[in-house]
Amino acid sequence: MFFNSLSFAIFLPIVFLLYWFVFHKNKTTQNTVLIVASYYFYSCWDWRFLFLLVFSTLLDFFSAIMMENSTSDKKRKFWLWITIGINLGFLGVFKYYDFFAQSFADLLHSFGFQTNPVLLKLILPVGISFYTFHGLSYVIDIYYKRITAERNFIDYSLFVSYFPLLVAGPIERATHLLPQVKIKRHFNLQKAKEGVYQIIWGLVKKVVIADSCATYANAVFDNYETMNSLSLILGAVYFAFQIYGDFSGYSDIALGTSKLFGIDLLKNFNYPYFSRDIAEFWRRWHISLSSWFRDYLYIPLGGSKGGMWMKVRNTFIIFLVSGFWHGANWTYIVWGLINAIYFLPLLLQNKNRSNMGEIEMGWNVSSLKTIFNILLTFGLTSLAWIFFRAKNMTEAIGYIQKMITDFHFNSQYLSNERYNFELLFLVLVFVGVEWFNRSKIEPLSGKASWAKVAIAIMALMALGVYSDYKEFIYFQF
Amino acid sequence: MKQFLLFIGKILLLLLLSAFALDFIYTTVLAQSETRNKVENVMNSKPQNYDVIILGTSRANNHFVSELFEKEGLRTFNYGMSGAHLFETSLLLKLMVERGWHIKSILLETDLNLSNEKRDDGTFGRFMPFMHSSKTITEHFKNESDFTALYYVPFYRYIQFDAKVGFRAWYKTLINEPTNILHHNGYYPLGYNPKANMKNNIENLVPLRNRYFEEIKQICKANNINLITVTTPMCTNVKGMDYFKKVKAMYPEIKEYEHIVEGDEYFSSCGHLNDKGARLYTKKIIDDLFKK
Repeated sequence: MFFNSLSFAIFLPIVFLLYWFVFHKNKTTQNTVLIVASYYFYSCWDWRFLFLLVFSTLLDFFSAIMMENSTSDKKRKFWLWITIGINLGFLGVFKYYDFFAQSFADLLHSFGFQTNPVLLKLILPVGISFYTFHGLSYVIDIYYKRITAERNFIDYSLFVSYFPLLVAGPIERATHLLPQVKIKRHFNLQKAKEGVYQIIWGLVKKVVIADSCATYANAVFDNYETMNSLSLILGAVYFAFQIYGDFSGYSDIALGTSKLFGIDLLKNFNYPYFSRDIAEFWRRWHISLSSWFRDYLYIPLGGSKGGMWMKVRNTFIIFLVSGFWHGANWTYIVWGLINAIYFLPLLLQNKNRSNMGEIEMGWNVSSLKTIFNILLTFGLTSLAWIFFRAKNMTEAIGYIQKMITDFHFNSQYLSNERYNFELLFLVLVFVGVEWFNRSKIEPLSGKASWAKVAIAIMALMALGVYSDYKEFIYFQF
Repeated sequence: MKQFLLFIGKILLLLLLSAFALDFIYTTVLAQSETRNKVENVMNSKPQNYDVIILGTSRANNHFVSELFEKEGLRTFNYGMSGAHLFETSLLLKLMVERGWHIKSILLETDLNLSNEKRDDGTFGRFMPFMHSSKTITEHFKNESDFTALYYVPFYRYIQFDAKVGFRAWYKTLINEPTNILHHNGYYPLGYNPKANMKNNIENLVPLRNRYFEEIKQICKANNINLITVTTPMCTNVKGMDYFKKVKAMYPEIKEYEHIVEGDEYFSSCGHLNDKGARLYTKKIIDDLFKK
C-alpha cells in the first residue's frame, strides 16, 4: 500500500474516522487503533515480515527495561550489545549477507581461487533499515540514560510501528515521539489543515516531479552508451530531482498524514538543493538519518574532540556507513565516499558550519556568489547521484566518462518517446515554486491557498505520471 | 472537526470540478485532431475510396510499402499500428465502415497477433477522446473490466492512458505540431540496425481462434470487402517457428509469407524488416496477390 495508491486513499480516511470518532476516548484506545492500522498497513506488503517487526519491538522493549533494571554497568552493556547485535544481525542477514558473500568470492577469484558462494537471495523486508535504526536509537538513549525505559507496551509498539513513518522514515527519536504518544491527542484544526496541504504538496512532488523525471532519467541511464553529453547531463539532473521529489514527497505525505492524527514527526528535508555547500546540503537532506549518524555514530566515535585527524576519520566513517546503509552495493559506498571527499575541504578549513543561517538575497555581488555556490553544490551533488543511480560501478564510470568526453549538445529523442530537454521547463517551475516558498514547510498554505490548492490538484491530474507507476525509491532501503 | 470535514468536502468538490473541467478541455482539443495518429485520422475522416487498406500491428506498419501499391495504380493507405492487437484493428475497421469508406481490399497481417484477444493499452488509449461520442467505440469497449471507470469517472480515461493522451499529447495537438505517423501513406520505414538483437523466441505463443479476427472476417463479408490475410517475415534465428504452421492449420486461408525475405541485412530487428526488406516483401505480395 503506497501513499500514492487508491488503497491508501481509502485506508487513510477510514483510520482517521475510527481514530477521532470511535476510539477517541483516551490515549490507549487512540494508540490501539493506530497500532492495528499500522500492522495492517505493513502486512499489505508481506504479512510474514510482520513477525520480524513484532520481534524487533519486543526485543527493544524488554531489553531496554532489563538495561534500566540492571544494577551494574557490565549488565547494562551486555543488554545494549545483545540488542544491537540482534538488530544489526537481522539487517545483516536480510540486506548485506549476499553482498559480503559475493564480494568475498570475487576477491578470492581475483587471486585465482574458484568459489561458489552460498547466496540466500532473501526478499528485503520493507522498512527494515528504518525501524531497526528507530529501535536502536531508543536502546542507545536508554543506555546513556537520556530517557527512561518505556513500560507501556502499547505506547512503545506505536512508537516503533506508527504507519506514516514505518517503511521509509523519518527515523524518529524516542525523546520526540514517545512523549506525544503518551498523551491523549485532541483534534487541532490548524494542524490537520497543515497536514492536508503537506499531503497534497507531497503528492505533487512524487507524482508530478519525481515520476516525470524518472521516465527521462531511466531513458538516459538505461541507454547511456548511445547518449550525448547534453542528454547525460540532463539525465543526472533529472535523477537529482527524481530522488528529491520521491523521497521528500514521501516525507511530506508521512508528516502530513501524521498531523491528521495530531502527531508531529521530525522534519526530514529543508530545501536541500538550495544549499551553499555540501555541509549545508547534509544538514538539509534526509535530516533524520544525518542527525542519527551524528548522534549515534559520529559523537560516540569521538566526534570533533580529538583533533583534525579524528574529525576526518569520523567523517569518512559516517559517510561510508551512510552509503552502505542505503544498500549492499559498491555504488552506494562510493557515493558515500564521494560525499566525504566533497566534505573534506570544508572540514580542513573549519568551514563546515559557515552556512548555518537563512539564504539572504539582494541585488549585490554577494548574492551572485551565493547563487554560484548553490549551483556548484547542486552540480557536485548531481554528479555523486550518478553512482547512487547506476546499477554498478562500470555503468557509473562509463556514464561520467561519456558525459565529459562526448561533447555533443544537440537534442536527442529518448526511448520514452520524448526529447531530452522537454522536462526542463517543469523542473524550473518547480525550483521557482520551492525558492519563493523556502521559508515555509510547503507552498500551498497562506495567502490564496484555495487557488494554490486548485492549481496543485490540476497539476496532479494533468501532469502526474500514472500509466508508468513508480514505487517510492527509499522503500527498497 | 466539523470545519475540517467541510474543508475536506471543499477539496473533494474542487477535485471533482477540476476533473470535469480537464475532461472537457482535453476532449475538446484531442477529439478534433486528425493528423497526429491513425485513430483520430479515421475518426475525423469523410467517406473515402481505397483499393487497399493495410491493417495490423507494427509488422504491418513497417512491412507494407504503400508507395509500391500506388505505383501499381492502387490507392492504398497503411493503417497498421505499432503494438495494436486484433481487438483494436477490428474496431478501426468498424469505424472506417461506419464513416462510409469504400474499400476494395483489406490486407491484414495475421500472425503473432492471433495469439491474444486482449487490448493493447497503447493503442486502446488513443480511442479515449472519442469514447463518449462514438457508440461503436462504447460498444466495443463495454466488456473491459475498467469500462465503467473509464466511461463515467471524469478525466480518469486521460489519467489512465497519460502516455498516449496525456498533457503532452494535448499540448502538441493544441499547437498543431504534426507527427510523421501519416507520412508515406501510413507506412513507417525502419533503418538497418547493425546492433539489433537478431534472435527471438516465440515458443510460448499459441494461435487462438481469435474472436476479433472472426469479427473482421464478418465485417468484410457484410461490406463486400475482399479480405487478404498474410503472415509477415521473421529473422532466421527464431525459436518456435512452428507457430506459423499452427496458424496455417487453424486458418488455411492465411497466406504464408514468413519465409519470403531471409537474411539479417533485410531486418531492423528480428520481427521487423528494414525499408530494403519491406520493399522486397511488398513487391512479392503485390506480384502474388494483386497482379493476378
